[in-house]
Parts: sequence; C-alpha cells; structure tokens
Amino acid sequence: MSALPKRILKETERLMADSPPGISAAPKDDNLRHFDVTVTGPESSPYEGGIFKLELFLPEEYPMNPPKVRFLTKIYHPNIDKLGRICLDILKDKWSPALQIRTVLLSIQALLGAPNPDDPLANDVAQHWKENQSAAIEQAREWTRQFAQ
Amino acid sequence: MDIEDDSPPINSKRSSPDLFFPVSDSEEEDVITASGALAGPSSSSVVAPPSTSTSSRAHGNAVQSQSQRTNGGTGEIEFFGSQNSDDIIPLDTMSNALAGPSKVKRPLSQSPPAVIPLEFEQGYLGEFVCEGWSLSKGKGYCSPGSKVIFERPKIKVDEPFPKGKEKLGGPARLVNGRVVGTQKKPIGGKQVTLGSMMSKKAPPPPKKTVGKPVIDSIIRFRNDRGFEVGRLSVQEAGFLTHLLDTGVIALSGHVIDCPQSLSTGSTILLNVRVYLARKAFEKVEKDGRREEGSFWQEQKETTEEEAMRKRKDALGALFSRIGVKPIHSNALLLAQKKNGAAEINETSLKHFTDSPKPKRSPSPSKGSNGSGVEKGKGKTSATNSDNEDEDEDSGDEAEKLDDQQMNEIDTIYRKAQQGDNRLEETNPPDTFLYTLRPYQKQALTWMSAREKGDESIRDNNNSLHPLWEEYAFRKEQTAGQPIEIEDDDDFVDPSRKFYWNPYSGELSLTFPTSNTRAKGGILADAMGMGKTCMMASLIHANMDSDISSTPPPTAEAEDELASKRPKFKQVTLSNQWRAIPTIPKAVNLPRGTLVVCPVSLASQWHDELGKMSEKGTITSFMWYGNDRADIERLLAQEGKKKVDVIITSYGTLASEYQKWNKNKDKPTYEGGSLYDHDFLRIVLDEAHNIKNRTALVSKACYELKGQRRWALTGTPIVNRLDDLYSLLHFLRLEPWGHYSFFRSFVTIPFLNQDPKALNVVQYILESCLLRREKTMRDKDGKLIVDLPPKHVEIQVLDFSRPERQIYKHLEDRAKRRFIQLDAEGRAMSNYTSILAMLMKLRQCVDHPLLVLGKLNEDDEIAEKLLDAETGDEKNNLKDLIALYAGGAKSTENEKEEVDHAFAAKVLKELGEQESTPICDICSNEMFDEVLLPCYHRCCQDCIVDWIGICEDQNKPALCPSCSKGPIKLSDLRSIQRKKKRVNPLNGLSLTENDQDKKDVVIGKVDLVQSTKLRALVRKLEQMRMEDPTVKTLVFSQFTSFLDLIETTLTREGVKWLRFDGSMSQAQRATTIEEFGKKIKEPLVLLISLKAGGVGLNLTMANHVFMMDTWWNEAIEQQAIDRVHRLGQNKPVYVTRYIIKGTVEKRIMKIQRSKTALVNASLSGGGSKDKGASLADIKKIFGLDEDDSEDEVY
Repeated sequence: MSALPKRILKETERLMADSPPGISAAPKDDNLRHFDVTVTGPESSPYEGGIFKLELFLPEEYPMNPPKVRFLTKIYHPNIDKLGRICLDILKDKWSPALQIRTVLLSIQALLGAPNPDDPLANDVAQHWKENQSAAIEQAREWTRQFAQ
Repeated sequence: MDIEDDSPPINSKRSSPDLFFPVSDSEEEDVITASGALAGPSSSSVVAPPSTSTSSRAHGNAVQSQSQRTNGGTGEIEFFGSQNSDDIIPLDTMSNALAGPSKVKRPLSQSPPAVIPLEFEQGYLGEFVCEGWSLSKGKGYCSPGSKVIFERPKIKVDEPFPKGKEKLGGPARLVNGRVVGTQKKPIGGKQVTLGSMMSKKAPPPPKKTVGKPVIDSIIRFRNDRGFEVGRLSVQEAGFLTHLLDTGVIALSGHVIDCPQSLSTGSTILLNVRVYLARKAFEKVEKDGRREEGSFWQEQKETTEEEAMRKRKDALGALFSRIGVKPIHSNALLLAQKKNGAAEINETSLKHFTDSPKPKRSPSPSKGSNGSGVEKGKGKTSATNSDNEDEDEDSGDEAEKLDDQQMNEIDTIYRKAQQGDNRLEETNPPDTFLYTLRPYQKQALTWMSAREKGDESIRDNNNSLHPLWEEYAFRKEQTAGQPIEIEDDDDFVDPSRKFYWNPYSGELSLTFPTSNTRAKGGILADAMGMGKTCMMASLIHANMDSDISSTPPPTAEAEDELASKRPKFKQVTLSNQWRAIPTIPKAVNLPRGTLVVCPVSLASQWHDELGKMSEKGTITSFMWYGNDRADIERLLAQEGKKKVDVIITSYGTLASEYQKWNKNKDKPTYEGGSLYDHDFLRIVLDEAHNIKNRTALVSKACYELKGQRRWALTGTPIVNRLDDLYSLLHFLRLEPWGHYSFFRSFVTIPFLNQDPKALNVVQYILESCLLRREKTMRDKDGKLIVDLPPKHVEIQVLDFSRPERQIYKHLEDRAKRRFIQLDAEGRAMSNYTSILAMLMKLRQCVDHPLLVLGKLNEDDEIAEKLLDAETGDEKNNLKDLIALYAGGAKSTENEKEEVDHAFAAKVLKELGEQESTPICDICSNEMFDEVLLPCYHRCCQDCIVDWIGICEDQNKPALCPSCSKGPIKLSDLRSIQRKKKRVNPLNGLSLTENDQDKKDVVIGKVDLVQSTKLRALVRKLEQMRMEDPTVKTLVFSQFTSFLDLIETTLTREGVKWLRFDGSMSQAQRATTIEEFGKKIKEPLVLLISLKAGGVGLNLTMANHVFMMDTWWNEAIEQQAIDRVHRLGQNKPVYVTRYIIKGTVEKRIMKIQRSKTALVNASLSGGGSKDKGASLADIKKIFGLDEDDSEDEVY
C-alpha cells in the first residue's frame, strides 16, 4: 500500500477535529482509507432520532474517483437498497475531485431528509413511496425505531 | 647399498639431462619401438649389478619400464625374473633413445642463478619409514638392518595420484589382500594380479596412451646382492616415482623389520633416506620476457610444464612426508599453508585434470598462431593482436569476479593495508604549498621509499624471493638410529641450505633474491582522498636533483632490462637515430615527470599543480592536441621556461604511440616523441584505463620509458583479477608483470576457484599497493578523512497522465515486440534493436520529447513503437505528440494568443491574492497553477489528470469546483507568478528588474515539462530559498535531456553551465573554472554522466541530482564522488529521481542484484553473454515476475 496522499490525511484530520453536526467518521486502525461513519437522521424526517452506521472506502484513485459508501444499518429509503447501496449522483457520474468525504456525508444526510422516489434504487420502496407516501414514511419510521436506535 | 660410494660424478652427469623430464607422446612411441627391439619377452629381466651407480640405475629403470610396458601389451609374460639377471642392455643405446627427442625445459618462473658448487653431489634431505610388500618367497632375502636398493620400472598405467600422507594400512591392505589372495599362483600369476590390479583403475591400452604419458608408481627394491625383494607401498611410491625417474632424488634405505621368511605380500618395514641429487639443482634454462604474441600459446600446458608440475607436486608431498620444514618462507606461502592449500599436489592436480581443458579451448588455434609469431621475434603483428582481442572476449566471462569475490577484494586490500596506519609521516618540501593530511604524509613516505627501492619500509625484512622457501639439508644419521627432528631455529650452516620454489617446483642451492627492480607502485586510495595531491607532493619531494643521490641505472641494469624486453631494445636503438644534436647531452639523465590522465582531468592536473607549487619550482605543460612540442627540447628548457611535468591524455598517448611505432625505425625519424625520452617518473592517473592489456592505450603506456612508474586508481581491480595484471606490467614489477606468470599463479588458479589466487594477489598488492579508504582510521583511531555527511534520497515520482500514456504505449509496443521476437527465437539476433527499444523507454522516463524527437530519425524501432496497430491508438498518440510538440513550439508567441481582456480580469483577481492557493483536488499548495475557463484554479497535474479520467469514462470533464465545462486541455491557462526572490539574510529582494510590475503572467499551459524536470525545478527553487548561492550538479546520461533541462532552467531564470563530451578540453576547463567562481545566485552545472563522471573535482557544489538511473551503480557512485570528496566542507545532498512503475524501477533492481548485465552488453555495447542479458531484459520488461505496482516504487 502506497503512502497516504496528503489530501486524505488532511481530510481525516479535519473530520476528526471538526466533524459536521450529526456526522462522525473515523478511519479504521488497520486501513486508513476505510472509515467507520455514523449519520444521525435529519430532523423532521422519518429517520429522525435514528443513528445510521455506514462504511466509507477511499479507492486508490481517490480523489479522481469517488469514495465508496454503503449503509450498514437497515434503512427504509427509496434510494437505498437492501444491501445498503446508495443512489446518489455525486457518488457516480457527478463526482468531482473537489468534493470531499465531508461533503459526501453531508449529501447522504441530506438524501435522508429528501428521498427521491423518481430515481429509485429500491424499486419496491419507491413504489410504496409513490403510491402511499404516508404509509411509506410510517414504515421508514418503524424501521428507524427497530434498527437504528 | 651406498650410492655415494659407488656413483662416480661423471656418470651421473652423463645421464642427467636426458632423464630430467618425461618425454612427450611422440617421443614415447620412439622409445617403445626401441625397447621392443631390445627387450624381447625372454630378455625382459634387466637388473643392474648391485654396484649400480646413480646413472646406470637410472638407465636400468628406463629399460625396465620399457620392458614392462611391452609386457603390459602382451599380457602375462614374466618380466622381472630377478633370479636370472644376466641380460645387460647397453646403456648407451638406451640413453640415446631417450636423449634424442627430449626437449629443453622451459621454466615457469624465474630461477635464481643456478650455480652448483662443483663438489656438490647430493644433499641429504631426510628419511622416513615406510612399508613395503614382499614380492619374493623364502628366507634370506633380507633381514632387519640390511640395505636395500630402490629402483623403478616404467609402465604406462593410469594411477591415481597418491594422497600424500595417507596412513599405511588403509586401502593398502586391500590391495595387499588381493595380492595375498593370489598367493598360491606361480610367480607368473603374480604379475597378472598386479596387472589386473592396475587395470582396475584404468586398463593399460597401448593405443590410448596418446594423451599424457602416465607413469605408474611402482618402486621395487632389491637387496644388496641384487635379488628383488619387494616393492614400496603405493602411497609412498607415488610421489617418489616421478622424482626418481627424473633423477631429482636418490634413495637409499635399509630394512627395519621383516618376517624371517618372506612370503608374497608380507610386509617389510623400511627406512628410506632421501637425497636431493645434483641434477635437481641444475639450472633450468630461462626464457627472457616473452613476446605478448606467445601468451596464448602458454596457456596450454606443455609437456615440460606438466613435468615441472608433477615434480613440484611430488616434491611437496615428499617434503611433507619427511617433515622437512622451511627455515624461511614468506608470508604468502605461510598463509597458504594455513589455509590448507599446502596440500599442493591434490589441489593443483585437480586444477589441471578437471577444468583447464574446456576453459582454455579457445586458445589452441591461437597457440599455433603464437608460435609463428615467436619465430619472427620482436614483431607483434596486427593480426595477432586482433586475435588476442577475440580471445579475450571469449575467455572472459569465467574470469570475472562474481559478487562474493568482489567482496573478497576488500579483504585482499585489507591485507595490503595492514600496518599502513603506522607508516611514518614525511613532510613535503616547502615548495609544496598545500598542507597534507597525516595519511597523505604517510603516502609520501611510502612513495618516496618505493622510488628509492627501499622495501624495508613495509617490513619486508627477508629479501627472499617471494616464491621461494629456504630449507636445509640435514646431517645424515647413521643407519638404524631414530629419526631426529631438527629444530628449525638451529643455526644452519649456509652450505647446507637449499631453496625450493613450491610454485614451480624448482630447486636451488643459491639464495634466490627478490629482484623487483620496479620503482613505483599503485596508489589506490579510494576516490576523493587526494591522490593527485599526494602525487604532486611526491613530485616535489623527489625532484630531478635527487638523481645524483640515487645512482642512475647502470649500464648493466639497462642491458638486462633490454634483454628482458626485446621490444625495448628497439627503443634504445631508435634513440640512436636521433643523433642530430638538437638537445644537449644532459638529457640522457632521466628527468621530468609524465602524467597521463583522462582528457577531462588534464587541465585539473595542470591547475592543481600550479596551485600547489611555489612559483618557479614545478612547471607543468599540457602536451596534447596541436601543442605537441618536441619533448626533449621542451624538457631541456631552462630558467623560466623550464618544464618539469608533462601532462598528456590517454588518447594523445595512444595516437603518439601509433605514430612513433610507425616511424621509429625509419632512418629519417627525428625523435622528439614522448617515447624517445627517458622520464624520471611516469604517472598514470585513473590507471584503470589500461586494464585491458591488449588495448592500444595500454600498450602505449607499457612502452613509455621511465625510471619510476606510478599508477593512480581508486579501482585497481574493476571486474577481474586480470585487471591488475596490466598495472603490474606497466610497473614492470617482476615477476608478476609477466603475463604467463600472472596467468599461472593468479588467473588459472582463480578459474579453478583456488584460494591460492587471491593469496597471491594479496601478496603482490602488499608489496606494491597503497590503499586507504575514507572509512579507515589512523593509529589514534580517528577517521583519516572526515568528510561531511552524505544524504542520498531516492525520490519516487509519478508520471503525469499524458506522460504515462505515452510511456505505456511505448512499453507495450516494446514488450509485445520482445515477446514476439523471443517466441520466434530471434531475440538474440535482434539484440541491438531490443536494446534500442529499452533506450527509448529510459529516455521516455526522463522526458517524452526525448523519444518523440527521435521520430524524425530513420529509426525503424521508434517508428514501430509509435505506429500503433489500432487506428484509435495511433491518433491518440499522435495527438498527444502534437500536443507536446505544439506546447514546445508555442512558447515563443504564447503572449499573443492570450486574450487581453481575459488576462486583465484574472490578473486583477490574482493580484489580490498573497499566498499560493490550495488546490481543491490535492489539498496542497498549487504547483504549476492553471486557470480554468471558469476562473477556478488547480494544479496543472490535478486538472490534467481529471480531464484524462473523465475522457476515460466517456463523460465531459467539468470543473471540479463549479461543474462548468466541459474543459479541454487546450482551455487551460497557466499562471506564472514571478517569484519574489528574497535574500533570507538581509531581506532584500533579489529580483533584478523591479520595474516589471506585472508579476503574474498568463500563458498557454506548457505540457512539455516532464515530471522529473518539474520536480527538479521545484527543488531548485526550494534550495534557492535556503541558500541563494547554492551550487548544484545535475547528471543525466542523455545529453538531449540536458538540452531540455537547459531550456527549462533558462525560462525559470536559473543560471546554468554545461559539461559534456562534445566540448573541447579548453571549453571544459573554462566551464569548471566558471562553475567555481563565486556568484550571487544559484548555479547549476549540467553534466553528462559519461563525460563528467570521473576525476573531476567539483567540491564547490554540495547538491547532486541524478536524473536517471544508469546500469551500473558504481558509475553513479563515481559521479556523486565528484562532490563528496576531499575539500568538501558542507553536507552533501544527493537526490535520485525515479518514476514509479517504469523500467527505472527494474533497472534499480538489477543494479542492486548486480547481475551480469551490468558488466555485459548494455554498458559496453558489445554483447558477451547474451543469454544472461536476455534474462535481464525479460526482467526489465517485467516478464519473469508479476510486476505489481504496489511496491514502494
């Protein structure tokens, strides 16, 4: 494993010292490119009060390629599938090397507050969301209580 | 029987020369015929009368051997019917048969003057007890105390060489037992048994004896009545037989114990006394210094040499059997014995039987050639030297020192270094202006002593010739007394002394003196220890005036020199042509010092000599180019124009030599050449230049006439021990400067992996070489040189994206082509083209333009490399090339292309910014800041990478910060800020033109810069901040890369100078001088590795950059040592740039493993061992390993 680029070191430092509200991220001891992340559900969202665990991995090509992020905690969300994979444009084709771990995690937190069933990853959840939004939100709350608290 | 009483001296003399050595094959055939006629089956029993003299005994032996041989052929005929011994063969016939074809012996080494006192007959060497077996049955043959007479039959049977001191009763019993087993058979049967016993080892086929004559080891003994009693055990007989056959020794003996009644095979205990016969000391004829042309001939072991070798082995065994110890021996021999190499016979026998034949196979054809040359003596024809060259090539690899051996070389030197730190210190005369360090003063002591021929300085208290040992004959004991061991410390009557050369087997009664006439030696201090300085002090200390004190070489000495070197005689002759008295006679005295050095060092020598010398004491003259004046006239000048030191280059010398060689014999020759002058002293600087003894330049150096000869080199042994030979030859150090000698004692043993070789080298070096290393300590334990520390940093860089694309493309092409060639088995024949491909890759690592520039050349490989198979790829690459080339060209008119409105807007923005902004992508301060169309800024590398990745993923490249775009490479604008150059000491701005307010310039992005180059520029900038007058060396092996560095440095406003092979001597000198000047700003010297890697003294710089990797780490080390050497008083920083994931990494690997490649083809151009190199090339292409990128670099 080659040495950690300066950028990653800097980002890590800043994440540890001055983490955004509701977000924490710390690299694993054995692999400094691998982060344990927790995100709290945004207020007035079905995920409020939940603490969601994620893992984040910075590939060799980072920052030219986006980090890989996945939910570890079960979550009911149209853009997050059973396996925890996230459908977020900046993690795919809209990635820009100017983005950082911090911005990625903030975006994910925002995604929890604003689910987008029109661009779904979990189709059944999205369907549910479109057909009966309140029921879907209730389901999401239920899952949050069940898995994220 | 008492030999001494019965052998008249005349008899022994008559026979001696003929039997000295075994005869060669063809001669053997003659003898057989003769003996066949003489010794028919019935007449085979030949026993000389009991009163045999030494000589007749010898003849008897010969006859017997012949007859036995005949018997061997016919089978079971009894040939030793000792009872009816009345057939006497006329002695003369036999001696004639043997004498006729025998040759004159050629010695291996120098023999001391062989004066044998007339009265000397034989000397008692010692006695030993051994076992014999009875061959007779019955009583009354012998009894304890009765005398026995030893004699030798001769038979052609292979016989394993006896193992020296093997205990009686081991294998002997077995043999004995077999004899016992056949006991019941009649006497005839006994012979069969013996025969079959022999044939077990190797049947004696008469036709197969075409090879070397093999001698059996049967020694029979008779009682004093002439009856055969038995034979000696094989163990004892083994080493005695040869000596008996050649008349070197005489034996007498008596029975100690035996059974009352003998039966066949019963053991008889004997006391054997050994005498060295007169013949052993007879002068072996000595050849003069041989023509080089006959070297190759000598590699084949001649019959004489073989005989000498056997004699040597046998004597060695005999000495150890008897327990004779030398009174005096030298350190070398002693060391050898300690190492167990004293079992000379075994080891050496192994050499000659096992290996030499195949290894010397290239030589036989040359051998015949050489003999032809020898006839036309004194004429080394051109063709012959060509052959030598070839020969050297083919025979070389085996002689090369492998890694471990190279390490051992340190050990070799160490021997020569023992006690060096206790040498006295000598102060140079006042005319020498520099202050010498203590170790340099020691060198002066040593060198002065060497020039005066004073060997005692290095504690050589015995002047015994290095290869000889001193022994003494013992006082003879009366029979029956126990053996008395003489104490070595006892005083020995000089008349009883004798000397033995355990290398050549020669014996002598006179004291062999060590006759090294050579004055001078090898000063082999490590690089940067100030060899030049030490030599200069010597020149001062021993000026011409000293000659009066040291007697000029006597005429006798001159004569001897001349006779030793037939070639040199001609030199003297040609001098006579120069009778036209342009010069006063005084010049007959050798005077002046000639310094031969690489051309790049000539002016340095000149300058340093000037600086070191008080005005008017030593004047040097650079003798090269068109300034080649008449040497004699030059040196004859007096007063202000006086010249003491002449400096010339190897190249000049070689051409002078050619010229002189052509003209010297013409009557019109007027002299005035370097070769017509007898110098007081000749100094070869960087003397490893003559390591190849067949090279013209080496010959040119050998032929120089001079009283004192010095070789200065940090590496006297470069690749093989033979390198040393050339230096010794130049020094005229006897006997080592004699090639056949060196080869016999060093090269051949080395080939056979005999530690002896290294011992010999150690010995040689101890006598003539002084070597100190930077890490050595003086007698007080202080480092003799304390140089400032040296920091080496390997910077592993990563290609920028376009660079990697181009590189990858080239590499893939090269790999593919190589695999293809390799698969087709044509890799060998396309070797050079493969090397060319590699060259491209190595250049590409430095700067893509280096490769692209070559496109114009009619270079098939380059064309192929760039001519991709798929159209896409082709376009891509050509585009990239265009991009690069375009960038390079547009630097001229870049400002015109800039949109002024756009520039003004940005400039305003930029002007407000104080510090370098942080790049969004890499989070570092921006390096090579570029401006995107959206006014966002990035490092050039980062954005170029990003654009590339987006292209790869087929998406538009948007600005990372604002997602505007797409951005194209051509949209980028570089931002160049005039760096505020502030002197850190006084805070004053160093920027000269302050009126230039526009401190930010926007231009087209210049993608031309290579990663390495950019790293260099960046580092230089950083260094400038730390030390505004820093001086830096930048090495590259490609001058074209130096060109590009030049351009970049110019643009960056860095002052630079250039030093490469294309410059004349004068230009080089100016450059170095210029570089040494004190100026207010940083200065960079761009040096081509090959031109400036050696010799130069550039201690004014303390930063070194190695831009690329060379195959041989030693070369790089040399380059670094230009700076890290005596006179350097700042820490030295070395930076080596390596690009990740390229050939460089693998070259580094090879560098480390020091594989054959380093020595072979790639560095030299020739390809000596393509097989090994090919494997290395595979390594370079990463074909033999999985070449993962996650290594350190």
